[in-house]
Amino acid sequence: MKQVVVHPEKCVGCMQCMTACATAHSVSLSLFSATQEKPLPKPRIHIGASLYGRGFPNRCRHCDPAPCLLACLPGAIYRKPATATVLINPDLCINCASCAMACPFGVIRYHEDNWAPPGKTVAIKCDNCISRQAVGLVPACVEMCKSGALTFEPVAEAQNRKTREITQTIWPEPVTVATGKFDGFELLQAIKKSQHNLATAC
Amino acid sequence: MNHVIIGNGIAGIQAAETIRYLDPTAFITLFAAESHPPYCRPMISLMLEGRISSDRLAIRNPHFYDDLQIRSIAGAYVTSIDVDAHAVTIDDHEPIFFDRLLIATGADPRTMKIPGHALNNIFPMRTVSHVENMLTDISTARHALVLGGGLVGFKAAYGLMRRNIPVTMLIRSEYPLSMQVDDIAGGMILDRLKANGLTVRTGIDALAFEGDSRVREAHLSDGSVLACDRVIVGKGVQPAVGFIPKDRIPVDLGVLVNTNMETGIPGIYAAGDVAECIDRVRQCPWINAIWPEAAMQGRVAGMNMAGRTVSYPGSLGRNVIRIFDLDVMTAGLINPEPDDGYQIYSRIEPRLPVYRKFVLKDNRLLGFILINRIETGGRLVSLIQRQFPLSASEMGILKTL
Amino acid sequence: MNSLKNYSEYSIAQDTRLMLKKAEQEMIETVWDRHQAQSPHCGYCEMGLSCRICVMGPCRIDPFGEGPQRGVCGADADIIVARNLGRMIAAGAAAHSDHGRDLVEVLEKVAAGKAPGYSIKDEIKLGTVAREYGIDTDGKNALTIAAELACAMQEDYGTRKKCLQFVSRAPEKRRNLWANAGITPRGIDRETSEMMHRTHMGVDNDWVSILLHALRNALSDGWGGSMIATDVSDILYGTPMPSRSSVNMGVLKTDQVNILVHGHNPVVSETILQACQSPDMIALAKEKGASGINLAGLCCTGNELQMRHGIPIAGNHLSTELALVTGAVEMMIVDYQCIMPAISQVAACYHTKMISTSDKAKFPGMTHCEFHPENALELSRKLVREAVENFSFRNRDRVYIPVKPVNMMAGFSIESIVKALGGSVTPLIDAIKSGAIRGAAGIVGCNNPKIKQDYGHVTLAKRLIENDILVVDTGCAAVANGKAGLKTLEAAALAGPGLKAVCQSLGIPPVLHFGSCVDNVRILNLAAALANTLGVDISDLPLAGSAPEWYSEKAVSIGAYFVASGVFTVLGPMPPITGSMNVVNMLTEGLNDVVGATFAVEPDPEKAAVLICSHIEKKRAALGLCSR
Repeated sequence: MKQVVVHPEKCVGCMQCMTACATAHSVSLSLFSATQEKPLPKPRIHIGASLYGRGFPNRCRHCDPAPCLLACLPGAIYRKPATATVLINPDLCINCASCAMACPFGVIRYHEDNWAPPGKTVAIKCDNCISRQAVGLVPACVEMCKSGALTFEPVAEAQNRKTREITQTIWPEPVTVATGKFDGFELLQAIKKSQHNLATAC
Repeated sequence: MNHVIIGNGIAGIQAAETIRYLDPTAFITLFAAESHPPYCRPMISLMLEGRISSDRLAIRNPHFYDDLQIRSIAGAYVTSIDVDAHAVTIDDHEPIFFDRLLIATGADPRTMKIPGHALNNIFPMRTVSHVENMLTDISTARHALVLGGGLVGFKAAYGLMRRNIPVTMLIRSEYPLSMQVDDIAGGMILDRLKANGLTVRTGIDALAFEGDSRVREAHLSDGSVLACDRVIVGKGVQPAVGFIPKDRIPVDLGVLVNTNMETGIPGIYAAGDVAECIDRVRQCPWINAIWPEAAMQGRVAGMNMAGRTVSYPGSLGRNVIRIFDLDVMTAGLINPEPDDGYQIYSRIEPRLPVYRKFVLKDNRLLGFILINRIETGGRLVSLIQRQFPLSASEMGILKTL
Repeated sequence: MNSLKNYSEYSIAQDTRLMLKKAEQEMIETVWDRHQAQSPHCGYCEMGLSCRICVMGPCRIDPFGEGPQRGVCGADADIIVARNLGRMIAAGAAAHSDHGRDLVEVLEKVAAGKAPGYSIKDEIKLGTVAREYGIDTDGKNALTIAAELACAMQEDYGTRKKCLQFVSRAPEKRRNLWANAGITPRGIDRETSEMMHRTHMGVDNDWVSILLHALRNALSDGWGGSMIATDVSDILYGTPMPSRSSVNMGVLKTDQVNILVHGHNPVVSETILQACQSPDMIALAKEKGASGINLAGLCCTGNELQMRHGIPIAGNHLSTELALVTGAVEMMIVDYQCIMPAISQVAACYHTKMISTSDKAKFPGMTHCEFHPENALELSRKLVREAVENFSFRNRDRVYIPVKPVNMMAGFSIESIVKALGGSVTPLIDAIKSGAIRGAAGIVGCNNPKIKQDYGHVTLAKRLIENDILVVDTGCAAVANGKAGLKTLEAAALAGPGLKAVCQSLGIPPVLHFGSCVDNVRILNLAAALANTLGVDISDLPLAGSAPEWYSEKAVSIGAYFVASGVFTVLGPMPPITGSMNVVNMLTEGLNDVVGATFAVEPDPEKAAVLICSHIEKKRAALGLCSR
């Protein structure tokens, strides 16, 4: 089963996944019309900033067991095993924020939404774009991400690849990991880290 | 294996489900004092508010016991435990034997032994029946009196106010929810309640109720008399330990358990509001009578009862409430003793309003209060639960939250 | 209870720290709050890899190599980064040069007798500059010369010339080098306009060629628009001479009407100053219960007034909002550049009146009072009167002046230095030759919330003077070093033994205030004068430039004209170029072969000081001077 895999080291913090996500959850499915809709569609993925201002795509992990699902008082949060997705039934949601208190990643938001009864504030979070997946599309955030920070692939494959990469970096012999490939990005990050450390050091 | 569970609250239900998941052949008996099917206790105040009806409270489907092959005995209060014989009894019925016993009897509301306390229309608020009773002729209510500014008193007052019933609240402290929030947050909550019509009188208690069959007025400790046709008593709860042989099973305020949720007697477990285990931030036995901890304790107890040794790292008090347009989330230690090495950071933006308070010791997060913008508060809960010193970037989370 | 905000991470300036605390208490949002809210910044934009030039896009290049490597048009990372950088320089050059144009227009109006409140203050300089332009000044009165000079300068903005007039001030070697590289600036507006043309889709797609034109564009600022701005300002308002002044938020007075001028162009502030000094206004202030009218500056408008009149400065870029948080400012009058639109929201929390003055620069929440040479004096008097009347509305309970002002010396122009040296630059050259002074470095540029306010400027200045390197500074850097007390005679004690002795004998501080950010051309003029005297190129001199806390497009243009003029320049923050290591390598190494100088990027001022010291010693060795 393919799932969205986050590679935070490749996040450039452009936040384009957020606009893509909001658009994918709008009525019109077009960015320009979506910004005129009421209620305004909102993203389910959130780009946070790390210590040195480096971006981090914060997205529902669809945990199993899911703390939000266990904490949900009205039983509105449920799991859809076919796509390994934790979903919220907006009809049952009572907007009590118990899931906000339970989610260790802080990815649930509370607002009116096109997918909820009109005028009702409900808990909203990533739904893995299951309606897009149903018609053969990849999740909107993945489609928009051009830096490779979000991919849609079998988790096992991603894990194997990561294992190979890490093995190569620690293996004493042939180091085939591309050095020099990301020079510019690493240079920028080094500068930003240096700026941050200077501010906090003295 | 023969499992007996006393209580069909969330702890008992979670334990039963966990045992069934791990052991398809176990024999499970569940005693339920309330005849309702398993329901969501924290939501009963929503019934009072009128946001939901009782049919929305169920947390399991009606065939739940049958599906999981659990023998349920409803409306039954276990009256004694024979520790040596490994048996429980109800009055003078035949004993029911167990290999593993879970005490998940929860807690009962504290009652007021003052003149007139047995008059009609004086309610505790703990069970669905309590709320159903309150609602029988709610449309005739003219003035309600709420005793106590804790969570129950607060939720009762809030529910009645949402029904446009004038409410007077008597509280001992200066602001409601004094166990959950500090004076600043309490003041913000109080202001919001007052702005929406709540009358609050502090430092005052009721001494007696008068009325014919129904309560008509309350005599207060300052000598005044207050007309009221509804009284809700929110004076806290106490663990339901009356039937437990305290000479055999160690009981403090609640039933003392170890990290496996096992009492002093092997094979006998306790979970939920009746159990007293280590508090994560206080590092001493404590009862955090909240729903998510009861659920977790039930799961852990169930796993241990079914033979899978799992430890429970301790409970953490926490709450999240929405009060009109004010959202409040709190967890852990929020009013520590001053000058005991605590690092306290706070930030207030009254215009929004937003309030944050963080309590740390040795850079470990021990507690927080968030007023508004609570969406990502779960991250803080997990930082408390983890109990590592916060890294620089985690301190950064506190700054930007 | 503690605040989670650690103000000492934001600034080394005590006034800023204390005002930030007040701002937090009064729930006033500042630039640091907004900077935090913007984090993370878009990585494509930070690396220069996003292109919004045409609507086949917008496009972005994946820095990790898996996603798109070319825009819709086919532009790769090198082209996109170079185009974006080129447009930054064009914007910076345009800003300085348009500022210069406004001054030339005032000069023209003065000549035509249509600018009451303005006059020719430095007729000697008027004559010198006019003769450079080939104007025969013999027997002509100042106004006639001014008219001809204004006209000649306006030609520099056009396209009729093949070379800007002030390029002739550069050493011959430098001019030949520019000609060989094809980067001699022709017209001020032309180079900016051509940069916009070249970076249009489908025009210049050779990133080296774009970068070379970017240098030419920057030179059209340094040896064109900015140089005209400085010289015309000197002609109109007087060439600066050393004066005593003071700096930081302590210059605001609790018992006086406080008026702040903010921005860059002295056109407005000069007449405001006249109005503030007029006896009837002062009498009115006293009538309103104030003991006087206190005019203070912010940013480069402040620098312009301080250089020529010793008017105190309340702060630099990141202090502009906080100065209003004192609650003691009756009016802020802004012209243009570096005025954060947020500032009127801060003013709205107090009684402070906000006035915008240029049709090019209008702001939400400000009252717009358009200044022209014709109405400037009259309008200034009206505004100052309003400010004085506003004194009654000051809420004294909210007034907080956090610190006592720091004394500083300002007003160092080439002319005043030459005068101090006894009529020529030779004594300075001798001091450099002997090694008493190892060399000179310009510290210029802005504040940037990415760098702790003033830390970059002050740390670098201290390290350089310790190493006997004379520091000249401009803009927000100059204000920073003033606040830190480096512009007093006593600061000579912080300098190395050689520089200390020179400072003490001449009675100058070790860090010389050269003026506003257009006044960076004073550094070019000094460098050219030294090189011409020695018969070498500017790139042969033991000189360096640095912009430790730069933020603006103008700063990129300044940096580029420094480097193109042969001055090694160290930037603090990284420009948005890391998306192309080709561009990075060209700017930090390759340009040595083209213009004999490069950029370096080093946010840590301690390390930047090491880079500058070793560069200066290297240049000394190459000149055959003693080197360490």
